[in-house]
Amino acid sequence: MSAPFLHPFDITREEPLCAPLDYNLKSQLKDVDRCFKGEITAAARLTRDVKLFHVRLVAPEERQRFSFHPGQFVMVELPGFGEVPISICGAQQGFIELCIREAGNVTAMIHRAGIGAKVGIRGPFGTYFPMERMKGHRILLIAGGLGMAPLRAPIMHVTENRSDYGEVRLLYGSTEPGQLLFDYQYEQWRRVDGITISLIVDHPDAAWRGAVGTVTKLLEEITFPLDDSYAIVCGPPVMFKFVCSELSSMGMPRDRMFVSLERRMQCGMGKCCRCNVGSTYVCMDGPVFDFWTVMNLKEAI
Amino acid sequence: MLFRILDKQEFHSLVDLMLESTEVIGPKKIGGAVDGRPIHQYLPLFNFHELDLEYETTEIPAKSYFLPYLENLSTWRFTDDDWSQEIAYRLHPRVILGLHACDINALLKLDKVMTREFFPNPYYISRRKNSFIIGVDHHPCRGGFCRSLGTDTVERGFDLFLTDLGDRYFVAIDSERGFTMLHLVTVRQVTQRDTDDYLAARQEIASGFGPTLELKQLPRVLDLQFDSEVWRRWGAKCLSCGSCAAVCPTCYCYGVSESVAMDFTRGAKVKQLYSCNLPDFAQVAGGHDFRPERETRLRYRYYHQHRGFLEQYDEPKCVGCGRCGRSCLAGINPPEVIGDLLAAEESS
Amino acid sequence: MNYLGIKPVRPRVAIFGFTGCEGCQLQLANGEEDLAEFLSAMRIARFRELSSADEEAYDIALVEGAVTRGDEEERLLEIRDRARVLVALGSCACYGGVPRLKNCFDPVEMNHEVYGCHPRESLPTRSLREIVTVDQEIPGCPVAKVEVERIIQHLIWGLPYRFPAYPVCLECKQRYILCRFEQGELCLGPLTRGGCLATCPRGGLGCWGCRGPAAEPNYGEFIAIARQRGFTLREIKERLSFFGGLEVTP
Repeated sequence: MSAPFLHPFDITREEPLCAPLDYNLKSQLKDVDRCFKGEITAAARLTRDVKLFHVRLVAPEERQRFSFHPGQFVMVELPGFGEVPISICGAQQGFIELCIREAGNVTAMIHRAGIGAKVGIRGPFGTYFPMERMKGHRILLIAGGLGMAPLRAPIMHVTENRSDYGEVRLLYGSTEPGQLLFDYQYEQWRRVDGITISLIVDHPDAAWRGAVGTVTKLLEEITFPLDDSYAIVCGPPVMFKFVCSELSSMGMPRDRMFVSLERRMQCGMGKCCRCNVGSTYVCMDGPVFDFWTVMNLKEAI
Repeated sequence: MLFRILDKQEFHSLVDLMLESTEVIGPKKIGGAVDGRPIHQYLPLFNFHELDLEYETTEIPAKSYFLPYLENLSTWRFTDDDWSQEIAYRLHPRVILGLHACDINALLKLDKVMTREFFPNPYYISRRKNSFIIGVDHHPCRGGFCRSLGTDTVERGFDLFLTDLGDRYFVAIDSERGFTMLHLVTVRQVTQRDTDDYLAARQEIASGFGPTLELKQLPRVLDLQFDSEVWRRWGAKCLSCGSCAAVCPTCYCYGVSESVAMDFTRGAKVKQLYSCNLPDFAQVAGGHDFRPERETRLRYRYYHQHRGFLEQYDEPKCVGCGRCGRSCLAGINPPEVIGDLLAAEESS
Repeated sequence: MNYLGIKPVRPRVAIFGFTGCEGCQLQLANGEEDLAEFLSAMRIARFRELSSADEEAYDIALVEGAVTRGDEEERLLEIRDRARVLVALGSCACYGGVPRLKNCFDPVEMNHEVYGCHPRESLPTRSLREIVTVDQEIPGCPVAKVEVERIIQHLIWGLPYRFPAYPVCLECKQRYILCRFEQGELCLGPLTRGGCLATCPRGGLGCWGCRGPAAEPNYGEFIAIARQRGFTLREIKERLSFFGGLEVTP
């Protein structure tokens, strides 16, 4: 029952909000909480607590529409358990690659999910590494620990468009050799894609022949000038803070280093405030920032 | 804007008409505090006499009718190894009656976040568009500092806005449906005498305000006094209870939790309005907390209210209703905290 | 029902009661409309409110009440041996609860006061964790059934359950419940862990802290506030110590 002058407003019938779902355009969305259904087609254990998942969107038209930029993330929904932000570490042949660490209840359940399990995907969300701008330049790709997961997408982008970029260096530090992610791909990146890879671990095991220490130590190998290079630095805040100040003392402008911030997004759409740093929504203005911006964010690191 | 004059008797008829045909929310006296002060809330009305337009303020803002404290975002149906998602928006029209300028200004700020940004929020929009809003002028309330923020008057965001002229209301009309609704009863054109009375009434309200806070420098001061001991002092008092954000008419942050039924046939994704003062607000998976101390959380709240929001939307988020200060058992209130900050800046 | 390719498990659940009012057990039997759904997730090995089953094999033991007698202690040790997961159900089991108040009195006088010329064995009240390892505590007087359901689900899934970090105040605000302090009453809401849906304040009673502390209780400020509002230190301390879950600082 309602008064004749109060007509119910039905949002699902509103014209401007009926544009197709494409989160990348940040367009006018009708069902912002509706998720794409995806099927887990592969689940491979990479380390003790990290698994790589291949998720294939079930509906063919959604699969076609899905595109992302390196650095963006998706919200992975486990109906009834919760939703977690996961950075995309690659996408090919119709499936999305997600590298997921078992950190909480939702990720613990995802780890148990079998092949064929259906999860929800919303996204992709957020800013991305400016791969366009880096064209023709030398690139440093620097990862610490699980930072390799968000870094893998730009690595894949570089390998797929190798001729667009100058020299590419990958510096990767991990606590122990067993924690190195994507180790099965290093050989190809080195030999086929011509990426120089330097690895370092904190705690070597008996078989380890490489360098020992933190990733900042690998920066000592860099002898060429950095003023015309770009860097992507992924890892925990202490790590990228250290690496970035080191890089800037080596001559790299701070707005040419890019980092990815981790926060507890619950919506991905600039509404829940959980990822806010000062006034900045990490989900919309980030997760990728240049280091100059990060320095200006209070409480960012 | 169009204006009309509505006799109080006709206003009574109008409310009765609304009550007959739709849900009507309005300020209702629900009790008194230990100091004798009456307590009001915006609640569903069942008859005209429950409506108390003379109220000073409500404990809970009208926000909860647009951003409910608990809201179902999705319902899940499980079938063996598969699921489906159902989303429902609230579509029933209702009248929200008796909002003060601060609460309507708060809605205008929420509109900026919820309707104009990327990712407009359909849950909010459907509630907002299905709410017929009637505002009402009032005398300054204790603890309120709306005049410092320019939110003591409002020009948009309502359907009708009433100013009490004794035996009649001076009505501002800001929507077609407001105009139509008003003409269900007898209204008349505004005469010169009405205009004079209206201006006098406005003048009288304006003269009731105490001194205002000088907030022009505040965004800069918040940056400069980021490590001020003012935060330690006020932060030590904070109970981390989240009341301030709960009663804030513009706080919109939330957390999401999901649950499944014991027989695993269905589940729900529920949004709960949260508060940046709560201990786990900035915790990430694995336990790291980006704002582990009370003072950093309290500071963040002020930072967002008076600097962050301003940076994004060119105005502070705060409307100066004073509800957070009134509800805080520890007595943390914006005029004093801001006053201390400005003083710290002056003395440094 | 299968979920994500994970087969459902129905654990055997046994429910026991020691010293207490049995209200928590009753709470689980309440809510008839969802009872069948609740029971569908488990197999009842022992639950005297609902079933005549009395099996000695179970996976999860929900133990209600505090321990005040020697035979209760023995029985608890036996339950601990049999159960894979031992859950303390309710504030008595978690903190000693109301029965713990007797520890404030002289045991002989107290025994005489209650049992007259026929004294009975009565040890100082202890919570379960003072005797055995407790895997999960579910405080509350009584427990909230919804929360018990969620916790049982988490036990089945083998996932840790996270209690709300926020105190009862947020629950009150979210339900339009008037602040008990404003009504001139003492209320432990600012210190006590939320999740109870503010049952007591909604009924017009200040919070007594049955659910233990929220994530970051600010005891110092709370006591200052309560004293400022005219409550004596004695009143405040009595309230804080009532269920045994909160710190009683001088």
